[in-house]
Amino acid sequence: MSKKKATLKLGAAFAAFLAASPAMAEGEYGVLMKTLANPFWGAMGQGVEEGAQAAGVKYFLQAVESDQAAESQLNVCNTMLERAPVAMITAAINSTNLLPCLKAAQDSGIKVVDLDGNLDPEILAAEGIDITFSIGSDNVLAGAQGAEYLVSRLGADATGPVLVIEGLSGNITGAKRATGFAEKLAELAPGLEIVASLPGDWDRGKAANITNDILTRNPDLVGIFAANDGMALGAVESVFAAGKGGEIIIIGVDGNSDAVKSINEGRLTASVAQLPYLVGKQAVENVKVAVDGGGVERQVIVPTLVLTKEVMDAGTEPLLEFVK
Amino acid sequence: MTSTDPTQQGAAPNLWMRTHSVLIERLHIRLESLVVLLVLATTMAILSPYFLSVSNFMNILLATSTIGVLAIAATYVLSSGGLDLSLGSVMGLSGVVGAAVAVKLGAPTPVAVVATIAAGAAAGLVNGLVITRAFVPAFIVTLGMLGIARGLALVISDGRVIYGLPKAMVYLGQGRPMGIPMPVIIFLGTAVVMHILLAYTRFGRHTLAIGDNENAARTAGINIERHRLIIYTLSGALSGLAGLLFATRINSGDPTAGLTYELTAITAAIIGGTNLFGGRGSILGTMIGALIMGVLQNGLNLLAVQSYYQQMAIGAVLVLAVFIDQWQVRKESRV
Repeated sequence: MSKKKATLKLGAAFAAFLAASPAMAEGEYGVLMKTLANPFWGAMGQGVEEGAQAAGVKYFLQAVESDQAAESQLNVCNTMLERAPVAMITAAINSTNLLPCLKAAQDSGIKVVDLDGNLDPEILAAEGIDITFSIGSDNVLAGAQGAEYLVSRLGADATGPVLVIEGLSGNITGAKRATGFAEKLAELAPGLEIVASLPGDWDRGKAANITNDILTRNPDLVGIFAANDGMALGAVESVFAAGKGGEIIIIGVDGNSDAVKSINEGRLTASVAQLPYLVGKQAVENVKVAVDGGGVERQVIVPTLVLTKEVMDAGTEPLLEFVK
Repeated sequence: MTSTDPTQQGAAPNLWMRTHSVLIERLHIRLESLVVLLVLATTMAILSPYFLSVSNFMNILLATSTIGVLAIAATYVLSSGGLDLSLGSVMGLSGVVGAAVAVKLGAPTPVAVVATIAAGAAAGLVNGLVITRAFVPAFIVTLGMLGIARGLALVISDGRVIYGLPKAMVYLGQGRPMGIPMPVIIFLGTAVVMHILLAYTRFGRHTLAIGDNENAARTAGINIERHRLIIYTLSGALSGLAGLLFATRINSGDPTAGLTYELTAITAAIIGGTNLFGGRGSILGTMIGALIMGVLQNGLNLLAVQSYYQQMAIGAVLVLAVFIDQWQVRKESRV
């Protein structure tokens, strides 16, 4: 009978393991993230938490193991529907992986919210999914803000080569930032010429290599815009290694803690900071309005902020408190 | 691996052992894994009020369908003494090929479905050919294919999801005849056929014989190279089927689909009693292994336990399952 005992022990181990996890009461808002391993999503989760506390609503938050686990996110989403939440706030891993779940949610009268603008309006229309609202930063605007900052530093009449490091080829977020930057730059300072716009695949090392190569070809580079901070920091390394530290304006996007540190050290020039904390907080607040029967804009845009050493030293910018 | 049937060891027969031997002889599954599954399900039912419902049961089966089909492939390859690390990548590639054929070329559904599975089979065939003709170890060949298939999927799709499959194709992933999701029907149907093939046919016996002792199998006149080639092609085709199930479920070909699924599939097979080094394996056992993981994940999701703990739990179950297995084998050989 010892076999049976062993199996029972195994079961008991599970029970003990599970008992340690908090049993959730009737869920009110379901929040589905990508992964909490990334500080960006961590900050957004924090915003959701504090927003929910302030609004006095109950929520349950789930995430998957990585931001590539598309199917597991769909499975988690389906499971969350079993708890019959009143709203599902979802940050989909890509524009299609959650579709069947979102459709099912809509069919059972659950409000669907697109957190951080991962869903494609055209695909949603084709699938007949009507989301309550989409909330996030405007990536085109973030790119444009980067261009505005570059021009504010160099002047509208400035001339010289500029490098753009795009995100993963084909990724919509990176593409929007790069286009936003390019279009605004052409409009504000036609003399600043983008001599190369290359995909850095969100990879710091790749961005460093691209910067090296372009610096060889265009040693008189005046500015670099990278579609995220990681790549901008890669570019910083190459620029300083080439002995051009401080001569080239380097701008990233995200405002993550590494970037803040680098800006404070006088290496990275600026980062167009997204405010994930604010996105999370406002998402919950807006859902509450919608659930209570109020009207909510279909597209809630959370502002982005150009972080520089001056802005941080002055400390007067009200949005600074949301930079986490 | 020697037989672990306790009745052969001359121990006093009791209900546990009798049930055990009947299950092993008739269905080729181990009683322990069934008990673990039941204990786990009972625990979840007690802990979460949402666990016991028909719709949640369907959720579990639906969530297990892709990984379950891959686990069938893993069972065949492992029990023949091989290894296929390219399962997840080939699944991703197949889904993208199917979506590209349907969306970019505008081919009708049957053509796209065949293309999806054929893409997987082709990748498996390449694996098999290099392994059996060029004598490169399976670990290396399929590790290479893991990268090649994933890269190819990204190239074909230009790194983004190919959305908008034909309606009939989407039915394979989203249809619910009699309330049962189509992927579940396809998955269970495949499992039954593949179980019979492995447990009750000559092909299946040869598979296990090669995995148990390659030289003995060769002496017995089995064409090992040809058999291996078929197994790897079959493994690829099943990965293609898994790709089809997922792509039609989300109405798009996702080039990152199935990332690291090869390991999950191998885990399910081993929890279900497949021997990592060949000679033993059954599809029903693997299905129980996959369901143990499915129930565990579903239950933890319902309890809103962070996904990090889920990975820990599955890792622990894997080691425990093999531990119990080894412990029994040793105990029985001591009697």
